[in-house]
Amino acid sequence: MNAIIPFRGFGLGLRRTHYADFLEGDVDVDFVEVISENYMVEGGKPLRVLEQVREKHAVILHGVSLSIGSAQGLDGGYLDRLRTLTNRIDPLWVSDHLCWTRTGAHNSHDLLPLPLTAEALDVVCANIDRAQEALARPMLFENPSSYLTFPEDEMAEWEFLSEMVRRTGCYLLLDVNNVYVSAHNHGFSPSDYIAGLPLDRVRQIHLAGHEPGDIIIDTHDREVSEGVWQLYAETVRKLGPVATMIERDDKIPPLADLLAEINRACSLANSVTGTLAA
Amino acid sequence: MTELAQRQAAFLGAILDDEAPLPTGWGAERAPGMAIYRNNYRTSLVEALRSTFERTGRLVGEEAFRRAAAHHCIMHPPRSWTLDLVGKGFPETCTELFPHDPDVAELAALEWAMHEAFVARNTKPLTTAGFGEACAKFTEGDWEALTLTLVPDLRVVGASHDLVRLWSSLAADRAKPDMVPCGEAQCAIVWREGERPVFVLRPAWEGAALDAFQRGATFGAVCAALIETLGEEAAIAEAGAMLARWVGEGLVDKLAQGAEASPAIPPLSPSLPDSSLSVR
Repeated sequence: MNAIIPFRGFGLGLRRTHYADFLEGDVDVDFVEVISENYMVEGGKPLRVLEQVREKHAVILHGVSLSIGSAQGLDGGYLDRLRTLTNRIDPLWVSDHLCWTRTGAHNSHDLLPLPLTAEALDVVCANIDRAQEALARPMLFENPSSYLTFPEDEMAEWEFLSEMVRRTGCYLLLDVNNVYVSAHNHGFSPSDYIAGLPLDRVRQIHLAGHEPGDIIIDTHDREVSEGVWQLYAETVRKLGPVATMIERDDKIPPLADLLAEINRACSLANSVTGTLAA
Repeated sequence: MTELAQRQAAFLGAILDDEAPLPTGWGAERAPGMAIYRNNYRTSLVEALRSTFERTGRLVGEEAFRRAAAHHCIMHPPRSWTLDLVGKGFPETCTELFPHDPDVAELAALEWAMHEAFVARNTKPLTTAGFGEACAKFTEGDWEALTLTLVPDLRVVGASHDLVRLWSSLAADRAKPDMVPCGEAQCAIVWREGERPVFVLRPAWEGAALDAFQRGATFGAVCAALIETLGEEAAIAEAGAMLARWVGEGLVDKLAQGAEASPAIPPLSPSLPDSSLSVR
């Protein structure tokens, strides 16, 4: 299976509110990321918009419903649609989350946490193998944010991710906000987490806002927090330049606000990596 | 069932049902985390319904809509990978919850049809010129055996209220709904004009005729049913006009010659054609 070549740009999520900006203007980003499921449709406006945006920008397909941790395995119909979209758009890469969303009976439409066990790892790896084979390309998987851990956990999440990468050849989408959120919620060191990952397999970083509290909630509804910016700087210092984007899914502000955030990420990455980013 | 499958079933069961106990072996310290997952689940589904059924929400009001949406999610937990299908069956839920207000379920059915039409498969419908060319040498037998493939975005929704007025009146927040019962049974015909879902209000028999064509009926069989409904003279006039109207509106994808045995056509509404209203 082909390797994913690093792409060192800065991008944004494409959201409906900003369709006109991307179609009519010249938005200064290196790539856009879209939620795959919004475009896994038969026809109509969403696909036409995506194809037009694709003419101007590199596109990343980021899914939320693959359910790579489902004990029942993957949904063949879903995979067929994802393959069709992938072939149509020719994205930089296709990503989803280390999580599960459904059982054989119902779908939660949420990114639910997996117990960090050898059994779950086997299931995840088998599902990744099937997905990558169906798409004929390696995928990226994102570390989740979570609000509870399981009594049966047998390893740390970064150990789970490292073994998953080793066994399947997949890559990582490192969500720095998710590391920050889960580290707070579960009492581990975010630096230990980052240091424990196979950083040479990270191809993209997500930055997003969260709701503070006793349990921090990963809301994507506000600007990136100062703590996450610090962790981003620490991460990029170890990792070198890597594709970075701002994720915003709720209370979406004018495009200029998001461009200001992505410019901050760019400046920060340049300042900590020096000539590496040139 | 594997251990992981059992755990996932217990976890999802605890999310779907607020009253369900936490999975076996979990201490109370996990309750706050589970409460977040429960809230995420409810919120995302209710928001998806609110987005699809915007006007229905305005018609019944915020609190009644929230209760109806929550009831729908409890009674019909989602099965599909796409949130777009969470609203499937919501019009029927509205029929159940608002039994004395049929306009609520009708409006919900219309919004659902518009929602489906928005992302239906793209086609290039038959043009009036193309239709004329295809039919130029039709014999009487060809007309009798004519079948239509209708565009995939086409939907028909029953209407006992003037959905055009109701739809327009609910375009903005805090709008006052304009509800006028239809004198005769009507239907809303929904399709996509370019990228924009649109609908027109037509007599119910026209919707029944579309339904018959969608099930493979021949033009001859539909005409026979129309004669029973409208009488011979009106039926002859209406059948041709109806077909021309559909082609002009872009509802017909292809023409074909049907099988000898046309499927049975259900009784058409006895109402007479009225002026058509459109929302585009």
